[in-house]
Amino acid sequence: MLSRNRWLSALLLSFVAVLLVVGCGGGDDESDDGGGEAAAADQTLKWGLGAEYNLDPGLATDTTSAKLVLNIFDPLVKLDDELNAVPSMADSWDVNGKKVVYHLKTGAKWSNGDPVTAKDYEYAWKRALSPELASDYSYQLYGIKGGLEYNSCEKNCAALRDKVAVKATDDKTLEVTLTSTQPWFIQQSAHSVFLPVHQKTIDKFGERWTRPENIVTNGPFKVEAAQPSASITLVKDQDWRDAADVKLERVEGRIIVDGTTAVQSFEAGEVDVLDEQLPAAETPRLKETPEYELYPGLGTSYYGFNVKENITDVNQRRAMSLAVDRQSIIDNITQANEKPADSFTPEGMPGKAEVVPEASPWTPAAGDIEMAKEYMAKAKNAKKKITIYSNEGAPNKEVAEALQSMWKQIGIDSSIKILEWQQFLEFLGPPPPKAVDIYRLGWVGDFVDDINFLELWTCDSGNNNTGFCDKEYDALVAKAKNTPDNDARYAIYKQLEDKLTGQNGALPFIPLWYITYPNLERESVKDTFSINLLDQVDLTKVEIKG
Amino acid sequence: MTAFIIRRLLWTIPVLLLVIFLTFVLMRQIEGNPFRRTSRAVSPAVQANLERKFNLDEPWYVQYALYVKGVFTLDLGPSLVTRDRTVNDIVKEHFPKSLELGLLAFVWAIVIGIPMGVIAALRQNTAWDYSLMFISNVGYAVPSFLVATLLIYYVSLKAGLLPTNGWEGWKYKILPSFALGLLPMAYFARLVRGSMLETLQQDYVRTAKAKGLRRRRIVMVHVLRNSLIPAVTAMAPLLGFIITGTFVIEIIFSIPGIGRYFVTAISSRDYSVVMGITVLTSVIIVLANLVVDILYGILDPRTRDART
Repeated sequence: MLSRNRWLSALLLSFVAVLLVVGCGGGDDESDDGGGEAAAADQTLKWGLGAEYNLDPGLATDTTSAKLVLNIFDPLVKLDDELNAVPSMADSWDVNGKKVVYHLKTGAKWSNGDPVTAKDYEYAWKRALSPELASDYSYQLYGIKGGLEYNSCEKNCAALRDKVAVKATDDKTLEVTLTSTQPWFIQQSAHSVFLPVHQKTIDKFGERWTRPENIVTNGPFKVEAAQPSASITLVKDQDWRDAADVKLERVEGRIIVDGTTAVQSFEAGEVDVLDEQLPAAETPRLKETPEYELYPGLGTSYYGFNVKENITDVNQRRAMSLAVDRQSIIDNITQANEKPADSFTPEGMPGKAEVVPEASPWTPAAGDIEMAKEYMAKAKNAKKKITIYSNEGAPNKEVAEALQSMWKQIGIDSSIKILEWQQFLEFLGPPPPKAVDIYRLGWVGDFVDDINFLELWTCDSGNNNTGFCDKEYDALVAKAKNTPDNDARYAIYKQLEDKLTGQNGALPFIPLWYITYPNLERESVKDTFSINLLDQVDLTKVEIKG
Repeated sequence: MTAFIIRRLLWTIPVLLLVIFLTFVLMRQIEGNPFRRTSRAVSPAVQANLERKFNLDEPWYVQYALYVKGVFTLDLGPSLVTRDRTVNDIVKEHFPKSLELGLLAFVWAIVIGIPMGVIAALRQNTAWDYSLMFISNVGYAVPSFLVATLLIYYVSLKAGLLPTNGWEGWKYKILPSFALGLLPMAYFARLVRGSMLETLQQDYVRTAKAKGLRRRRIVMVHVLRNSLIPAVTAMAPLLGFIITGTFVIEIIFSIPGIGRYFVTAISSRDYSVVMGITVLTSVIIVLANLVVDILYGILDPRTRDART
């Protein structure tokens, strides 16, 4: 009896011990043969989505929703690889100063058989501007005459709605009058908020119109099933105007918010592509796998100064920017192959070569401690004890710590305060409170024109938390908005960029790097599945190979 | 007994009012804009429109009164963040899944934890006892999210036995409920072992043995029933653990339950969802406590008469 018990207990204990040892042994080889290769003939894409989706183009704010709505509804224009506008539902367009006319294709149908007309776009745009819907992205339509007024209306809004200058003069013509010449407007209208919606469905079902049993769409894919918060199934709309060119038949999306689980699900073969939700800690390991894919994004990560009362001397700001070894942070902390920033305008922005012909002297990729010390010595009212504010989440804290040690080398003692995201945003104002010396933030482009980035730094901008205010800067921004010729406008952008990051610029922020979107994609779909600079995916181009 | 139940049920009303008040105050204390989704500032026009739409421009006592009215008419209001669904929709859609998860976790805890404790007690100070208590310690000490991730790694990824995430069928439900049930399992094992050891010393057990009753009958009929009382008492606080545990498990296993919604609602400042789920959770806890008290009365007749 005794010996049997002893034998049993030894077995049990050793089993548990083995489990623990193997578990703590660390990651070893991951064989990616979980049977996940989609069969050559089966054009079904299994997509691990990273967030809950909202299928209402007027309300979709996050990038996951945008990816879905851009494929179930039909935009007037799309963007090609160089981010130029190409025809989608609009066949052609005419731009005459402030007047823009879209000419739509004919014969397209909604999924319930109704014809698609210009009226659908007029209705959708006015709806996105309506105060009742209170869409987050309504500001994208403020460039249309009457847009801001309608959106700000409190009562008796019907009259203002009629004054919004977008009109379907007939079934295939949409006329728009803008507040000024905005040469980027056509490309801007590739954004999800400009998508059409089916009025009769919305009138009938109200806020429930996006349910799978109610929704009516006009894009290359339609919604077959949807479990809120869990999954969504799209099928190819065989009656779509260019259905013959669409190879993909079916998309099975399942929502996997947790990054670690998403990667495990991918490696188990349950999904074929992810939605950029890779955990930062796993990036070094995943980078070595053939399924890893990296896309540049149109966005700049930066650290903003509180220039009004705190870091007032431009020489200190220059010193702090010079001290930052951006490449080292990218190589060791963020590890997503971001490109070190050489100005505020991100890589991939049309006109970047003219706007930033040479890198800013204040943003050497590997830092320049010697020069930093020189400028620090020049600073008259230098603030040597500062507080860094950042929001939580990897790798923000580690980046702040790296900066802390870099600035120590030029004699600055910094303490780090990490806040929860919403509190952080509230805290920053604008205007930022006295406690903030320097804070972490970033800007991701809404549309592909540099004005979207440069107008951030105007005196009244709600996104300018630095306190930087230069009347000349504002005047140049206004001038740029009225300059239709691209080259002339890029010349103004160059002046604006100079005022920010140029040799004599005020440097109200430290540009760090341009963002990237890392993703995992099965080799059968890697070539055709692509995320563009604006974080959009065009499913009509996706094909699953054998 | 009926009077007892009715009185307990009536007590829920002041409890709920207090919960609503505290939640309301706390949510307003942690500042934050429910309409700000990204780092982009919300345009003043949109901010004003949304505040008007959701009554956030009213004075605080009006908002509070609206919440209380909503709770008692079972209309928990619209979600500030998920614009196409009301809080009632969210609860109806997602609560059953969390409930199922929690109940399955309890099932694991009872079906494995209690026998573990019984065996350990009956085979006290043997290898069985030591190893079972060791396993119980591990289950108690290791956090559920670590267990969850390890399970996904070994069972789903490496062995390919079960899916990694989701809630679509019985296969999906095994790992998450096990991960969640591990701590209650461990807790029950220790409790039952301890209380059985104590019961086994009692005089009436010696009497039963002396009478010549079979060991099995003594254990099952006399000892077990008395030993389970501490375990039943423990169920109520364990319920609290299970409810908060679902938040983490649901996120890791991508289960579309209410716990996940709760966490995201707090970070995105979706006041109505937070209020709705908090109220729901409070009602559940009050009811569960009531059920436990009734069960207690069934198991231990001595307490029945103590109640008026």
